[in-house]
Amino acid sequence: MADQMDDLMKSRMAQLEDYIMKNCLWQFHSRSWDRKVQNEGVLTRTMQILCGEPVANETPIDKCHWVDAVVLAEEFHRRCPWLAGMDKAEVKTLMGALREHMDYLTIDGSLNLELTDQHY
Amino acid sequence: MPYHEFECSKCIPERKKHAVIKGPGEDLTSALPLGYLNTIPGTISERGCAYCGAKHVIGTPMKDVIHLSHGPIGCTYDTWQTKRYISDNDNFQIKYTFATDMKEKHVVFGAEKLLKQNMLEAFKAFPHIKRMTIYQTCASALIGDDLNAIAQEVMDELPDVDIFVCNSPGFAGPSQSGGHHKINIAWINQKVGTVEPKAITSDYVINYVGEYNIQGDQEVMSDFFKRMGVQILSTFTGNGSYDDLRAMHRAHLNVLECARSAEYICNELRVRYGIPRLDIDGFGFEPLGNSLRKIALFFGIEERAQAIIDEETARWKPELDWYKVRLTGKKVCLWPGGSKLWHWAHVIHAEMGLDVVSVYTKFGHQGDMEKGISRCEEGALAIDDPNELEGLEAMETLKPDIILTGKRPGEVAKKIRVPYLNAHGYHNGPWKGWEGWVRFARDIYNAIYSPIHELSRLDISKDEIPGDKGFVTQRMLSDANLPEEVRNSATLREYTGKFDCLEALRHKTYPTFERKAAAAVAG
Ligand code: SF4
Repeated sequence: MADQMDDLMKSRMAQLEDYIMKNCLWQFHSRSWDRKVQNEGVLTRTMQILCGEPVANETPIDKCHWVDAVVLAEEFHRRCPWLAGMDKAEVKTLMGALREHMDYLTIDGSLNLELTDQHY
Repeated sequence: MPYHEFECSKCIPERKKHAVIKGPGEDLTSALPLGYLNTIPGTISERGCAYCGAKHVIGTPMKDVIHLSHGPIGCTYDTWQTKRYISDNDNFQIKYTFATDMKEKHVVFGAEKLLKQNMLEAFKAFPHIKRMTIYQTCASALIGDDLNAIAQEVMDELPDVDIFVCNSPGFAGPSQSGGHHKINIAWINQKVGTVEPKAITSDYVINYVGEYNIQGDQEVMSDFFKRMGVQILSTFTGNGSYDDLRAMHRAHLNVLECARSAEYICNELRVRYGIPRLDIDGFGFEPLGNSLRKIALFFGIEERAQAIIDEETARWKPELDWYKVRLTGKKVCLWPGGSKLWHWAHVIHAEMGLDVVSVYTKFGHQGDMEKGISRCEEGALAIDDPNELEGLEAMETLKPDIILTGKRPGEVAKKIRVPYLNAHGYHNGPWKGWEGWVRFARDIYNAIYSPIHELSRLDISKDEIPGDKGFVTQRMLSDANLPEEVRNSATLREYTGKFDCLEALRHKTYPTFERKAAAAVAG
């Protein structure tokens, strides 16, 4: 997905990524499978909040992802005024690419040798 | 990979993969040092042992417990009263230290009898304390003393006591971090779920995990939670109570501060009891504000967190900014043990204006470096498990204005006239909370602008000593290049808090919030 993005989208994604990597901790859970769940849980909900869609929030674990997503969406709005000018489809494309990239940075491309340890 | 090779470590080629410089355009997939590996022979590591990590970092902050080391006296003695994890019960856990004092003859004939005798004597000497942890050390582990069997014998003889066995001898891991892991897993396996909480007093119940009450940090954070009506069922482990920690399974949320030392128990609590793990930052105005907001959002009480954020920010921001204008552009080597490299890297830059030129970790894992490298600016030198010579070489090339590190490397820094603050035990903490963050800024300011350091930089064997000049003050040094309106700003001010900012918290009364069930009945 990232390959098909134009330069503007790429630079916007880089801004979002930069905020997450500098300020958040949820993407750095202990193991690959945790990180997958975290990236999916938090970034999907962030995308839903940004698009004004309903967000799953039933179980305690869901809720925990949701609180990180709420704060992240607020910070994105505060720091990236251009978000307000994007339509839903564009936000979804951007957030989809961001999610893919976060998976790469923290899981698939990660050099952290402990991620595949079977135990905590 | 942008590895950095130290001149002094050229003779140890394996060290090269333990240091990187994050260059332009690089990210974690191209810049990450190795970590949490056995120390390379010959490098003279500055790490602690796995017993030290289990006992002195995680076990001993529990306040209502006799902490007994089973081993030679040296293992425990060297850290007696050097730790600053205080408690609100007169610091029982740091005032006394207990060790069985194993000698050569015990290595030959066994030390189980000695252990039992020590345990009984300790309970007799402190009859009001009914809980004990016993820690294995290298010597007792190597001779195969059965700590569990002795603990059971003592519990059979004294039915009102409970004993936790921590089997983490010094050699049980590459560093103290191996001990953190062992005690986390041992605690959840042996103790969590064995008692029910004394009382559930709120609809919002958390375990506060990976918080060690260094100079009162836990008490500062508890104040915020109490103001929000959130019950702290247990703190793992600073100012924490043994029996509260046995009831961790009843919390709704695990709020995790130091993920390095305590993520294991949070992960297990999630798997075994379904309690989610929320990683937070307790340091810095904005990170702490966002952390409280997340906890409040989880429970649906956002306005309570917002009220605290507004009040504390208004009270302390002018003081933080007084220091920020005087610290901006100063270079820092952020060289703590583990988690503080990422707790602080971004926020001392954003909120105090400091430039982090290097991060290191003694016992951190690659996960800590992932966080730390992400949070510091480009060009920072990241080092895993450094030794003294590498530290010296880094200071000589980077020329930092201050080092935030532990006592041993700190004293080395002083020798080359670089001021240091104790990142583990703090100087004038607590450093958490809004006020604490200002106290941290004040400590950094006092260290960087200490007139004594100015004097110490003069070498009487060659420098000219300015005998005609009077003593300079900190303000003369820090304000020399500030514009007039900043120097005499009517809005900015130095720290105005009390010398002891905890005393009032210990006697504070808190609002009571109506429970949901009670409100439903009344409605
Ligand atoms: S390495 Fe072993 S002998 Fe040394 S302090 Fe640790 S437990 Fe004691």
